[in-house]
Amino acid sequence: MRQTLLIPSLVLFIVGSICFYISTPHQQGRDAINFCEAGQIHTLDPDKMTWMQDIRVAMGLWEGLAQYNPQTLAPIPGVAKSWKISHNGLTYTFFLRHNARWSNGQMVTTADFIFAWKRILQPSTAAGYVTMLFHIAGARAYFNSLAAHPLKHLPFSSVGIKAITSHKLVVTLAHPCGYFLSLMAFPPFFPLNPAAMAHFRAAAHGGVPVQYDPRWTRPPHLVSDGPYRLAGWKFHQYLELRPNRYYWDRRAVQCAALYIRNFPDAQSAFLAYQSGAVDVLSFVPTRFAPALLRQQRKHIRDDVHYRPVFGSYYFNVNCRHKPLNNPLIRRALDMAIDKQAIVKDILRLPDRPLEVLVPPESIPGYKSPHGLPMNISAAKKLLIKAGYPGGRGLPIFKFLTNSGAAINIRIAQAIAEMWRKNLGVRISIHEEESKIFNQDVVHGNYDIARAGWYGDYMDPTTWLDLFRTGNPNNLTGFSNAQLNALLHKASYQTSAVRRFALLHQAEKLLVTRWMPSIPLFQYSDGLMYNPQRIGGISTNVRMITLLKYIHWIHRPAPRTAEAPQ
Amino acid sequence: MKKFILSRLLQSVVVVWLVYTATFWLLMATPGDPFIGKKQPPPAVLAALRQRYGLDKGDFHAYLAYGWQIIAHGDFGPTISYANWTVLDVIRNSLPVSVALGALALLIALWLGVAAGLLGAVYRGRWPDIVLTVGTLLGISLPTFVIGSGLLMVFAVETSLLPSGGWGTLKQLILPAFTLAVLFLAYLARLSRASTLDVISSDFVRTARAKGLSPMKVIAGHVLPNASIAVLAFLGPATASILTGSFIVEKIFAIPGLGEVFVNACLDKDIPLVLGIVLVYTVLLVLMNLLVDIACAMADPRIRI
Repeated sequence: MRQTLLIPSLVLFIVGSICFYISTPHQQGRDAINFCEAGQIHTLDPDKMTWMQDIRVAMGLWEGLAQYNPQTLAPIPGVAKSWKISHNGLTYTFFLRHNARWSNGQMVTTADFIFAWKRILQPSTAAGYVTMLFHIAGARAYFNSLAAHPLKHLPFSSVGIKAITSHKLVVTLAHPCGYFLSLMAFPPFFPLNPAAMAHFRAAAHGGVPVQYDPRWTRPPHLVSDGPYRLAGWKFHQYLELRPNRYYWDRRAVQCAALYIRNFPDAQSAFLAYQSGAVDVLSFVPTRFAPALLRQQRKHIRDDVHYRPVFGSYYFNVNCRHKPLNNPLIRRALDMAIDKQAIVKDILRLPDRPLEVLVPPESIPGYKSPHGLPMNISAAKKLLIKAGYPGGRGLPIFKFLTNSGAAINIRIAQAIAEMWRKNLGVRISIHEEESKIFNQDVVHGNYDIARAGWYGDYMDPTTWLDLFRTGNPNNLTGFSNAQLNALLHKASYQTSAVRRFALLHQAEKLLVTRWMPSIPLFQYSDGLMYNPQRIGGISTNVRMITLLKYIHWIHRPAPRTAEAPQ
Repeated sequence: MKKFILSRLLQSVVVVWLVYTATFWLLMATPGDPFIGKKQPPPAVLAALRQRYGLDKGDFHAYLAYGWQIIAHGDFGPTISYANWTVLDVIRNSLPVSVALGALALLIALWLGVAAGLLGAVYRGRWPDIVLTVGTLLGISLPTFVIGSGLLMVFAVETSLLPSGGWGTLKQLILPAFTLAVLFLAYLARLSRASTLDVISSDFVRTARAKGLSPMKVIAGHVLPNASIAVLAFLGPATASILTGSFIVEKIFAIPGLGEVFVNACLDKDIPLVLGIVLVYTVLLVLMNLLVDIACAMADPRIRI
């Protein structure tokens, strides 16, 4: 039996070769730009996405009635060539351009928008951002009636969406919404192609609503109306985007092929970037960021594009539990933190410390209030006033943070020390896996919890609504009639100036009196790419990189390193 | 033989069912909710998601429903974290990557390991043996991420001889395959050294030598085939651990295999995906062990089945 080892070796060789052959990606051309995302693409269904990387790709594949100006993020005409807004700010009339086409050549019409918006308003679609549509008159009632009585619900005609012609769409809002136009550039409002999805439709029967097999988003089935079409998608390897030749603004799209990639960790992504296998990184790896930014300052490198963004890092305080339901204690906790030291010594990044909730100077026309400065003696007095002099009588608070980023623990430890030294307040730090952490926070099983939030639209309410009673995202359990009234009043205000004044007042009360969340710092974020080689990327406050404009300025020599993944 | 295979296959069905049951209830017992993310949708949306994944009617109902779906339709349904891909899609795309990597690693481990073992046994107590003993000790004790990062530093970062990671070319396969192979290589070297020593001192080898055969012929013709049976028996469990153990290597070298998907599925509490991957691994493991048992019986007349 000489074959004892030969036969298994032969089997291994054959099986291995076959598997290797079927799993390798095809060769990409020299024109391709490799764009590396920070995370996996979770879904390409624009109605269901909530992750930034999904949204970024969707904005390359689809186009809504409006699109973003790449620098300012102001809404500019997209599928709609123009629009009219009524004086009371409630009626929007959109005029669709006649040369807007789907990637299969079909015309984009109002019916496609109505199909998509009706679909997202079905609770069975399970759309994470469905509440964005609730600005439309009757939309909330329609959604709730469907959830309560799937068989006897309100008709869709009760929702303020009307197609006058195939190219004229009238949308009536429930209340004025200053940022409604910019929502038109966001995935939940994108049109869908009913013909392409029909094949994947499972009919409604006996209370089971219409469902679509989620594979409709996979190539070659996906039909989109934006700058690119989906030419390929290899699971966990890459997405291949190629220009949609029917796109009305085809000339603006100068990249012949765009590969969206992802790596299991930031370090391997950075290595791939350094070796030239990836051209753009949609993030600056946290671990190397301080060193990279130092090199950038010394002009050793010029490929780090880093800026403050519309997101913040803060602590949620559980306002349901005693004694943290006392705002005096919450304010004392806030005033005893040296936020400058956290940013400078722990984070070691040029992020800005925050005293308020909404990142300042992000929203044109909105003036941030002043929060509470660090003041240890005032904080001590607040504790005395609350009946806990020197922290005596306070329980040890349960502090919750999610694992996955070492920085969270370091920040928590530093703040725990500040609270212990300055106030005599003690916390026990618990680190949990994200899924468990999220569940515990949603169910209120914590005293103080780490939190981070990125604004979904350029308006203060994307933060302030987090403290509105009844909002599923209100994780602190904070409930205050005065705040609810202010937010309600602001939502019916047609004048932007007066509206912002009301919201300013609400934020001021939140950060100087009620303090349900303790703001720490504003996030900064960035991209990495060589500006001599790649153009068309703009770093805006929401880190929305519009893939449409990416192009080569100077193409590198043929790749020496192999394509990653 | 037929009877043996049949009874083993029947046993396998029970094993797979037990694994399914244990995995399902362990998953249910772990904390965390797969549908609660950073941003909270309205309750009606969460309810619709639970209904879609059959988790709205209680755990026991889900246990039966998933089981039935798998048996009756051979389908694990859609995944939770990659909504556009079914569990089978994910496995179909990621398993070949892990298998290709594992097969190459096992080939390296097999040949280098056996060669090293033979060398150690033949030069027993002399310097090649000592070097190999120290080497295998290091191979067994060093964790994969140390070896992987070390190789990466030397061959990719400092010298750029090989790519730092990714998937698609043979060059990209070298570092990860070798990293994955090291542990098994060391193990096989020890195993084959021991079994070679065992065989070398047996009567038929002495007879072969006495006949005047050259040392090479004795080793290749008499020692190796008999010493390899122990190695062969080790291949079954080794295949299983190489497939399930590739996670760290896949992470270091950015390889889109099933290991990384599996670990993330557990963290995300992606119930259908975890169940699907565990069952596929179970079936592979059971089949491999069966194959190895049959192969051992064919290679060694002393083993009867």
